[in-house]
Amino acid sequence: MTADSDKQRDENSDSQTDLQLVRKVRHGDRSAFDLLVVKYQSRVASIIGRYVYDHQEVMDLTQETFVKAFRAMERFRGDSAFYTWLYRIAVNTAKNFLESRSRRPQSGADAADAENFEDGFRLRDNASPDRLLHRDQLQRELEAAISALPEELRSAFLLREYDGLSYDDIAGILECPIGTVRSRIFRARESVDRHLGPLLNDTRT
Amino acid sequence: MDDRLKETLSAMMDDEADELSVRRLLSREGQDEVCAQFQRWHQVRDLIQRRNPAVDSIDVSEGVRDILEGHDQGLDRGDVAGQPARKRWHWPAVAMVALALAVGFGAGTGWESGSLSSDQLAAAGDVPELPIKGMDEQQREQLSRYLLQHAQHNSFGSSHASMGYARAVSASGAEY
Repeated sequence: MTADSDKQRDENSDSQTDLQLVRKVRHGDRSAFDLLVVKYQSRVASIIGRYVYDHQEVMDLTQETFVKAFRAMERFRGDSAFYTWLYRIAVNTAKNFLESRSRRPQSGADAADAENFEDGFRLRDNASPDRLLHRDQLQRELEAAISALPEELRSAFLLREYDGLSYDDIAGILECPIGTVRSRIFRARESVDRHLGPLLNDTRT
Repeated sequence: MDDRLKETLSAMMDDEADELSVRRLLSREGQDEVCAQFQRWHQVRDLIQRRNPAVDSIDVSEGVRDILEGHDQGLDRGDVAGQPARKRWHWPAVAMVALALAVGFGAGTGWESGSLSSDQLAAAGDVPELPIKGMDEQQREQLSRYLLQHAQHNSFGSSHASMGYARAVSASGAEY
């Protein structure tokens, strides 16, 4: 199995964390829903961007998708992954929006394909030259931050973020306990975050 | 947020956190800090995977939170994707008031008939007889008394008494 397919499998798996968060939301914990929003907002925006090209409309529909998801949370039965369920809401929200504007969907994508969406994002990138410059700077800083990591942290971090391997698999590859993998990945994230933190704060819209 | 909790949050990023740790993390004060940290790590992940460059900085979490807080307070802000606010009648409240009035009226009527003396009840027994065919005098008298008792029980709002009344009528109809 390739690294890409591993990553795809990981993203589409019935996330244990998602189910934990959904349970908390159902018990009235709003902060758990905040985490789900943060986790999925860029992916939801991505799927909506297949139908709607305007950046502000994408923002509005992404927001609407999460509000709908929250209100429908009691009806989420867990038959599919939360990720898939959310994507279906996003697709329907985008299609309804286009129908309300008497426009045909600009993509042949269907809700059933939601699990396979990730690449081929079509939203027009209307970023200003300043933003493009900033993005390039972020990429360079990211590479520098990763290069500066101690070898054992970098290996664990990259196996996780680039290859999407589980902690168990990484522990097998690096021949160390799972707890060590968990700790190394955390420390790597902390280090990268310290490096990029101020730049990341500038990018939020 | 201490390092132990941050490590739990990091494990949550990778779907490797156990439920107890997640519960501990979510029950602590200062969820804004948790959310902000989670968001930064996700931004880094998006950057690493070069996912969606056009939306790499999108953040709707605050807007969603505002709308849902308005929803909780019973406010239909109607500001989701520019939809106009709709006025809604509060039918449940109207129904509850109507039900309370009906119950109050019924209870008042019931208390009044409950205070009837035995003489009044006996007098009430002199109701016009229904022309029921095929019954002898004793059966008619028995049925009248039975219906009168049920009518009295009904005035107290007893639902099972209504059922008994229905059975009596049904029985008489079936036989004749």
